[in-house]
Amino acid sequence: MVRKMLLFVLGLVVILGLAPATQAQNVMKIGIVAPLSAPGGVETGQALVEGAKIAAEELNAGGGLLGKKVELVIGDTSGQPEKGTAVMERLVTHDKVVAVGGEAHSSVALAEIEVAHRYGIPIVISEAWADSVTAKGYPEVFRLTVCNSLIYSKAARWIKDAGFKHVAVIGENSDWGLGVIQVFKDNLSAAGIKVTSMSAERTVTDFTPQLMQLKNMQPPVDFLVDGFTGAGEILMIKQAYQLGFAPSKNTAILGAGMDTLYPGFWETAGEAGVYVLSNPAGLPGIPKTQTSDKFTKSFKAKLNREPDAVAMEGYDTVMVLAEAIKASKSTEGKGLVAALEDKVNWEGTRGTIKFNKEKTPAWAYHMWMDVPVFIIQYTKINQVPSQAAILWPEKYATVKAYIRPPK
Amino acid sequence: MLFLSQLANALVIGTLYALMALGLSLIFGVLKLVNFSHGECLMVGGYLYYVLATTLKLPLSISLALSLPVLFLFGVFLERSLLRAPYQRRMARYDEYVILVTFALGIFLQNLALPVFGPYNRQAAPLFKGSVRIGELVIAGDRLTGALVAFLVIGILLFFLYRTYLGKGLRAVAQSPGAAAIVGIKVLRMRAVAFGIGITLAGVAGALFGPIFLVNPEMGTSFAVKAFVIVVLGGMGSIKGSIVGAYILAIVESFGSILLPDPSRALAYKDAYGLLLLVLVLLFRPQGLFGEKERRA
Repeated sequence: MVRKMLLFVLGLVVILGLAPATQAQNVMKIGIVAPLSAPGGVETGQALVEGAKIAAEELNAGGGLLGKKVELVIGDTSGQPEKGTAVMERLVTHDKVVAVGGEAHSSVALAEIEVAHRYGIPIVISEAWADSVTAKGYPEVFRLTVCNSLIYSKAARWIKDAGFKHVAVIGENSDWGLGVIQVFKDNLSAAGIKVTSMSAERTVTDFTPQLMQLKNMQPPVDFLVDGFTGAGEILMIKQAYQLGFAPSKNTAILGAGMDTLYPGFWETAGEAGVYVLSNPAGLPGIPKTQTSDKFTKSFKAKLNREPDAVAMEGYDTVMVLAEAIKASKSTEGKGLVAALEDKVNWEGTRGTIKFNKEKTPAWAYHMWMDVPVFIIQYTKINQVPSQAAILWPEKYATVKAYIRPPK
Repeated sequence: MLFLSQLANALVIGTLYALMALGLSLIFGVLKLVNFSHGECLMVGGYLYYVLATTLKLPLSISLALSLPVLFLFGVFLERSLLRAPYQRRMARYDEYVILVTFALGIFLQNLALPVFGPYNRQAAPLFKGSVRIGELVIAGDRLTGALVAFLVIGILLFFLYRTYLGKGLRAVAQSPGAAAIVGIKVLRMRAVAFGIGITLAGVAGALFGPIFLVNPEMGTSFAVKAFVIVVLGGMGSIKGSIVGAYILAIVESFGSILLPDPSRALAYKDAYGLLLLVLVLLFRPQGLFGEKERRA
């Protein structure tokens, strides 16, 4: 009798204990981290999330992953490292996600990879460019966008070839911004080009004193790099334009952050945005892939605009994680990391994604080395990035050289 | 030339700072309380002007003029609903209550703006586009008009405070509420008026900053810190001090960030100059430049 009672109680415990677990077993949770409020780059974060959501919808329409429904758990990091850490802890310990993707701020990504490394959970970085993110050498960390050394060494070569003589860089005081300054200094100084650099807090709103100083410099500054994200990036362009400094017939300006790629850019910068240079890590349809066409169609149907580089990265991030889950047939961290490293070879929206295993140079570890990068230039107001003139790489260039503004 | 351009920019920014700091100072002077939601009230003004000018497409000058009474009523409403009753009841620890309630109000307003307007940066149209050129000196139109309007508003405020009956009443309450009550000034009404004017000044500053520095839910935070620096620098509650303090801060920020020998780091310390100035003032003249030494009974 006692035995029966015990069995009954045990059975009850098992059933009750398993009830929520069985429910949880029917969904596969993937964490998405992105800046969705200021001082982070909000439009960047939202594009990332939109791309990721389309990927999850597609996966679910096709029957989910390993027979389970895919659920994205989205965490807002506000572009602040401490928030990134907290969000990651919550995703891993409370929401029990199997993997994490996203992020668009390097300082935050650097905080997040520490958590991922500690728990052995794979994290695919969508849009954080500081070298150190992958250079740390954590096996759990993958990146399917460019890093500063990869893009700005090329941009620096382009600047040299285009004949610019004095480059000024104003960068934000973050891992990404300071990295931008460093890479330009290293690459351009070696080529004999004068580089003047300045760094500032990310919250700075008035760049006028520094821009005036640069405008009065000898030899004259003919290329200005705006190494800010969020409001700062747009304000610097606007203020440089108002002072008649850049973009002007004497000085070009490159908006290195991603805030130059969204409709909000035109709403806030207005006519100051014409002739601005930008460097997207992807343009819809270049190179043309099947996934790119499909994604562009779904994105347009949902948001009524063409996808930007970050939205494509968000989509690719979730899909790459899905590929790894399918390949390893499990959700266990180590197996996923191994699958991402060895088995993922997937044609995404911007080309075939495959992660590098070499550790020299350090930043190349777990990077997608063939990520497409462009230097584009807006030629009229309210232009979308894919309609802008492509200056570089030569393979895709639509104009011969940098277009000098008439004024 | 560079020196002149920097000075011109500093004076323009200083005038806008003064507008923002005067509100804080006036509230402190009359109500003897520190409004920790000042930055968020500035943000409210920024959005109000944006909505009137961009969403409702009203003419810009009318949008600006219309935001004045709305902001004043908003201020009076806040004073009535949050600050008056505890003051009348002579609540124990009223000062602590005010700190908490204004702080909470700031957080509330910021988090209200997030879902209502979204986290995006918005650009409100400036009264005057383009820029003004005098030789090599270039001043952006939005800044110049912002400063001119701010100058005008400050002028009207000074006239009101020093030349009108109501303004004298406000200053009387600031000097001694008890004595003011004895000669027949309605202290409670003066408190409401002062709070309303203070919020209006913050809001107008926000409306003028909007076209220059973009409008977003967090726009007030960094300006509020500057307003506190200015008010302490000039002397808590001193009108003259706030105006002088604002120009000092703007000039120090502008020149501090270009005169430092290492230009690569100069801009990074921009916000530090204001705080350094504050530390020095507190060390050598704790009552501020124009503040009175506190008298304790």
